[in-house]
Amino acid sequence: MSRARVGRGLARHFLLTLALNFRSRQAIVYGYLVPVLFLLAFGGIFRGDTPLLQHEMGQLLTISILGGACFGLPTALVSERERGLWRRYRLLPASMGSLLASTLVARLVLLASAALMQVALARIIYGTPFPLNPAQALVAFLFVAFSFLGLGLLVAALADDVPAVQALGQCLFLPMIMLGGVGVPLTVLPAWAQAIAGFMPGRYAVEALQRCFSDSRGLQGAGFSLVALAVIGAAAGIAGARLFRWDAGRHTGRAAFAWVLAALLAWAAVGVAAAMTGRLEPLGPGGETFESITDEQIARISFDDLPGDNEFATRLAPPFRGADGERMGGFATALRAWAPGRVGDPAQAARNLLSVASNADVTANYREAEIARVVFDLLRERYKREQLVRMLAWIILNPDEGGVVAQAPELGLQRRPPEPIIRDRNSLYARKLLGRLLGKIPD
Amino acid sequence: MPESRTESVRVRGLTKRYGPVEAVRGVSFDVAEGEIFGLLGPNGAGKTSILECLLGLRRPDSGSVAIGGIDAVALPRLAKERVGAQVQLASLQDRITPRQALGFFASFYREPAPVAGLIARFGLSAKADSPFESLSGGQRQRLYLALAFVNNPRLVVLDEPTAGLDPQARRELHRMISGMRADGLAVLMSTHDMEEARALCDRIGILNEGRIVAAGSPSGLVSRSGAIPRVAVRAARAMTRAQASALAGVVSSSAEGDTWMLGTADVGATITALMRQLERDENPLLDLQIHRPSLEDVFIELTGRPWPAGPEGRP
Repeated sequence: MSRARVGRGLARHFLLTLALNFRSRQAIVYGYLVPVLFLLAFGGIFRGDTPLLQHEMGQLLTISILGGACFGLPTALVSERERGLWRRYRLLPASMGSLLASTLVARLVLLASAALMQVALARIIYGTPFPLNPAQALVAFLFVAFSFLGLGLLVAALADDVPAVQALGQCLFLPMIMLGGVGVPLTVLPAWAQAIAGFMPGRYAVEALQRCFSDSRGLQGAGFSLVALAVIGAAAGIAGARLFRWDAGRHTGRAAFAWVLAALLAWAAVGVAAAMTGRLEPLGPGGETFESITDEQIARISFDDLPGDNEFATRLAPPFRGADGERMGGFATALRAWAPGRVGDPAQAARNLLSVASNADVTANYREAEIARVVFDLLRERYKREQLVRMLAWIILNPDEGGVVAQAPELGLQRRPPEPIIRDRNSLYARKLLGRLLGKIPD
Repeated sequence: MPESRTESVRVRGLTKRYGPVEAVRGVSFDVAEGEIFGLLGPNGAGKTSILECLLGLRRPDSGSVAIGGIDAVALPRLAKERVGAQVQLASLQDRITPRQALGFFASFYREPAPVAGLIARFGLSAKADSPFESLSGGQRQRLYLALAFVNNPRLVVLDEPTAGLDPQARRELHRMISGMRADGLAVLMSTHDMEEARALCDRIGILNEGRIVAAGSPSGLVSRSGAIPRVAVRAARAMTRAQASALAGVVSSSAEGDTWMLGTADVGATITALMRQLERDENPLLDLQIHRPSLEDVFIELTGRPWPAGPEGRP
């Protein structure tokens, strides 16, 4: 009975928060007008995309959610606290936590409405396609909003007044916009900035949302990003809830430092985990990964001018039969354990493995053709066909991106040919393997 | 507390510290239904801290608070069901209307009061659907008071209810608070205004540095104190000390410029003797004032220091 009554009260609080938000000119400007301005600005800046903004919707939505969560939420909470509204709430027979939760749910609805408006306007103004998988887009939105609302709650708990919200909010907003892959695309950032972005939730927010717009596989493979958002949001949210103050006269004590540190440790943990799993390898321009390679792009790749398998460049042994395979068994085992071939970014791992074949080819290793075949076999063994197709297409279409391994003494490849030649051979070997996977080259 | 009345609030040994500062030091009092009890004291005396402990805004360091028999420290939410409160520094959203605010806050309680009735009772009909930011100071104060009644409370707690109001709004609020007593409610209010305390409260607890130094009815406190009436007199020619001291009933005398302050045990006898003396001396009377003992005198007597002057501490 009592719970039902408090539930009714909280439902009214939720509806009242929404109603009052729509009566506030300031809230309308920051919550809806500013996102429209960002949409128009993006439409003006990223004119090369086809359809327009399809590959920028992740960034655009992330900016809106980030702004609404890191400025809108704490500004509202702190201004309510300053005017004593939370002091009045404290007199009610309801917990502060439940009222805070009701506020967060209302803010989530406001963020969702702003995001929907952006998606609809992008469609109307620029013809930007809707998310390929709306349900997964909703899941991505919820993770991103959870993460940023957690940060917003922490800002509200730390800020003594509204100007302090602006200062703290900017400390989150600006680095993510400039270095976090949110405002400036990750792929045009220098390698060091890309690495820093790996420690920020903005990068994972953009990735999760963008997949739903431009990758037919949606959130498949975005598990790390979703977990990163959840971890950062949970740490900040718990810290924010613990430090939340209903009384404007009460200031944060020394405990605040420990809670803020705990929240920041979540960022560090995510960044370290990303680095350890190879997710911080520099990305090339284009704002895409191998996963964003489309079937049309793959279809346009030509296999007509490839050198033959027994010619001077890019020699390739026929598939092993019996003793041939056994003779290369030791090398295959070493290659399977070779660390550069196991880095977290699959495309980079493939590029590294192809570099082995290229090195053997360029340095005229006596087993060059067999080594190339071992590399082919290992790639086929390690990756699913569809993934391998996109990885190889990515390497062919972006020959200058990522890193290459020019020398591998641990595999017996002592000589170090020039890197551009390795890249060139990588591209040729990638085409040879891709042609075979697609059935366009007989094996 | 009269024995025939039901006890609404019972506070015993209440203590509240803020770091090294002990704001409330072992305060005890009761408030009965149909009674207005005032906590009177200058700023910083501990009034608001006591009320905040009672309302569940602060947790006392020691002592007990019972509201309608419920332990308000152990069961704050249950106790809050029974209390209506108007506290300081607790405003509302600019765009909320009185009707919305009353409906929203009422929705949390078991026995909410009808919103329309509250709007009519507290004179908010003309502004019921106007945004809060358009309300005058008096209208806002009436809305705050109405918010204290959304749960049909038996105890109403008012923290400096008339602070910052103009005289007309103040009189109106006094009328409303007196009406609460007539309705049989227990009212616990804090004030630093001695006149307000004297006019409204059935009983007063005088607070000084976190302690209740005296409690009782306003007239009882004054009569129990050692303060005596004073007659201030100014004549065309100054009287001598011998003349002033010799007047009937006078127990003390002091000169303040041209004016003599005569402490007297019998105001009538002193004035009669004074008039005869001046007539005899053909010394025209220029000014005569009688100062009855007040709560301020009681405070001075109890604390040994004057009631703080200034806008917030003015008696």
